[in-house]
Amino acid sequence: MSAGRGTLRGGPAALRAQHPLPRGLGLLLVLLIWEGVARATAGSFIIAAPSQIAGYMVSHSGLLWRAFGATLASAVQGFVWGNLAGVLLALLVVLLPRGERLLSALALLVFCLPLVATGPILRVLYGPGTGPQVTLAALAVYYTTFLPVLVGLRAAPQGWFDLVRSYGRGRMTALREVRLPAALPYLVAGLQIAAPAAFLGAMVGEFTGAERGLGVLTVRALRALDLPATWAIAVIAAGVSMLAFAAVGALGRRLDLAPPEVLMAPPVARSRRPWEAPAQALLALAAALLIWKGSMEVFGLPRFFAKRPEDVWFYLVTGPGAEAQRARLFAALGETLALAGPGYLAGLGLGAGLALLLALAPRLGGAVIPLSIALRSIPIIATAPLIVWALGRGAAGTITVVAVMIFFPTLIACRHGLARTPRAVLDLFEVYASSPLRRLLGAQLPAMLPAFFASARMAIPAAILAVTTAEWLATGRGIGALMATVASTSDYGMLWSAIALVGLAAVLAHALVAALERAVLARTSAEQLAR
Amino acid sequence: MDRRPDIHLAGVAKSFAGAIRPVEAVAPVDLVLAGGQMTALVGPSGCGKSTLLRLIAGLEPPSEGRITIGTESPDELRQRAGLAVAFQDAALLPWRSVEGNIALGRALARKPRDPGMIRELMSLVGLSGFERNRPAELSGGMRQRAAIARALAGEPELLLLDEPFAAVDALTRDRLNTELPPLWEARGATSILVTHSVAEAVRLSDRILVLTPRPARIAADIPVPLPRPRGPEVLASEAFRALCTEVTDALRDHQYPESVAAQ
Repeated sequence: MSAGRGTLRGGPAALRAQHPLPRGLGLLLVLLIWEGVARATAGSFIIAAPSQIAGYMVSHSGLLWRAFGATLASAVQGFVWGNLAGVLLALLVVLLPRGERLLSALALLVFCLPLVATGPILRVLYGPGTGPQVTLAALAVYYTTFLPVLVGLRAAPQGWFDLVRSYGRGRMTALREVRLPAALPYLVAGLQIAAPAAFLGAMVGEFTGAERGLGVLTVRALRALDLPATWAIAVIAAGVSMLAFAAVGALGRRLDLAPPEVLMAPPVARSRRPWEAPAQALLALAAALLIWKGSMEVFGLPRFFAKRPEDVWFYLVTGPGAEAQRARLFAALGETLALAGPGYLAGLGLGAGLALLLALAPRLGGAVIPLSIALRSIPIIATAPLIVWALGRGAAGTITVVAVMIFFPTLIACRHGLARTPRAVLDLFEVYASSPLRRLLGAQLPAMLPAFFASARMAIPAAILAVTTAEWLATGRGIGALMATVASTSDYGMLWSAIALVGLAAVLAHALVAALERAVLARTSAEQLAR
Repeated sequence: MDRRPDIHLAGVAKSFAGAIRPVEAVAPVDLVLAGGQMTALVGPSGCGKSTLLRLIAGLEPPSEGRITIGTESPDELRQRAGLAVAFQDAALLPWRSVEGNIALGRALARKPRDPGMIRELMSLVGLSGFERNRPAELSGGMRQRAAIARALAGEPELLLLDEPFAAVDALTRDRLNTELPPLWEARGATSILVTHSVAEAVRLSDRILVLTPRPARIAADIPVPLPRPRGPEVLASEAFRALCTEVTDALRDHQYPESVAAQ
């Protein structure tokens, strides 16, 4: 790990907001343009004007307040539980390094499960109440806290551990004196990402039959084609997310913690032997199946809706009608992948491309970066209905939703990577008066790649969430819509099959990206690969 | 327990796993370091002198041979916090104040809190007034001094100094060479200093071991009979210069690894 002591000094400016225009003036300008565009396109029912949105908020303030309060309560509980789980999992991995790959693989698998399908199942499990919302909010945040905290717990240089060892003190002292304080800035960075994600998770949980909440209102507004209501909820969700993101960042600065400079997700480990990676994958698969079946048996969940692994096998392979069911499932998955794939690549490509462009023309950064930081914190739930509404229920809308979801985190991660180009290397290119393009290709691009691949891996669950949510909420196609349909008709065989297939596809995609990452980084930045 | 344990190395060697074959860092060495003395390990960069220090500290196990300090193994001495290391890169924890870092040396050694002693140490190393500052706000030399104060705070029987002045400019280094020795002389600990500065080795130590490049072997064993305290005037003495020449000659004779020199 290349994290040095320098990480705790001045951090990247990227996480701090910059204001090229006076705050009020810029906002007023945006609102005026928005109002104008909305009025000009009023006939097409795409954009609600700020005046309409404000009007809706005022006339329905009581309803919105109650819904907001319910969603916030679920989000806060999920935030606490999810982050607690993420931190404990990271501690477990640090204390049991042998179990790292298995634990990481299982954590990833659970994170890749589509929230829109786990929601209905949790609804059956919990019955009425806030259980599913809180659980989904926790599921939406634990992984993005687990990864940075794990990096932070290991970010300390060897010398600090030698210091503890030189006094004959053990792991627990090292944990207390070195690892935990070193991980604190990483925890804050994780919490910052978690704050909007928890709100998003709570809203998804509310889609599946909650009594109240902003998620309930979203579904209702979409069904009724109520434009001002949809926009008003999106604005509230976006505003809360940005506020939460900013508040956690301010807390970190208050604690005098500079944001960490190193990757939020560690580079993939290199296997020592060729059979190691497949063996680990098989082990993780076996463990996942065991936990799946074991937990259902232990809790004695009824077979009617809690399908075991063998039930899914029966449903898809050996049972009656398996062929037709398989065909239906794979057709839906194919339809989804045909949209998720291009959206994923477009989001990654545009994010990395813009980061590189900004490296060539740094002046643009002042305008683009604060905007993307603001937009990054907006939950996809808020934007998905609007984008699909604007671009139609065809391919373009869904692809855009996926791309937008991935674009901002990739841009910010790549900017961090570019900022980590060693100063001396840049000076070398400067000394020879190399062109900016040459410097970009020779020095900055290789420095950016580890961050790029880390965000490419993290983008997979994000893409799944985006595509299934868009399909479920808006387009009515693909596996997201299939899961919505079978959930409402209690076709649990199909629902569990879809969950298993999506999880499997996500893990395979993750393995593919990780393999590509290993191959590329072995050439460009071998020191980044964890040994 | 004897406060001045002798250090015995019997056939101690260390090699690391390399990409193609093991890399030999320290060739088998037999050695006795007298208790209460300061021994300097001098050699070219990367010769394995820091590795030898880490072996004596018990931070790495030797590949062969045995190290005993008094009657204990390095691990046993380490387990009861009988030794302290001043690390090459200072290794101060950035979230603790300077005072907090120095006090940590006492806390980790499981000695009772003694704020008066910590203040006294800070003033001895010239860090009074920086109690509340963070390490990032200190110069390289101040950090090294804080690291030495931290090592002394635990009252070790064995003090290991791994190039403690490597990051310090020449002027400060000279001043530290004058001011710090009384600190450990007064405490009578056995100490080992790793350095690549000949003058520093002669100035500070009672005995100099000149090491060859990888793998480290003892090329010369030179006693330093200069009287203490050794103020700046010592630098001008004939005896000092003669010793420096002797050490420098020994270093020059063993400049290259043996395999290269043989060709």
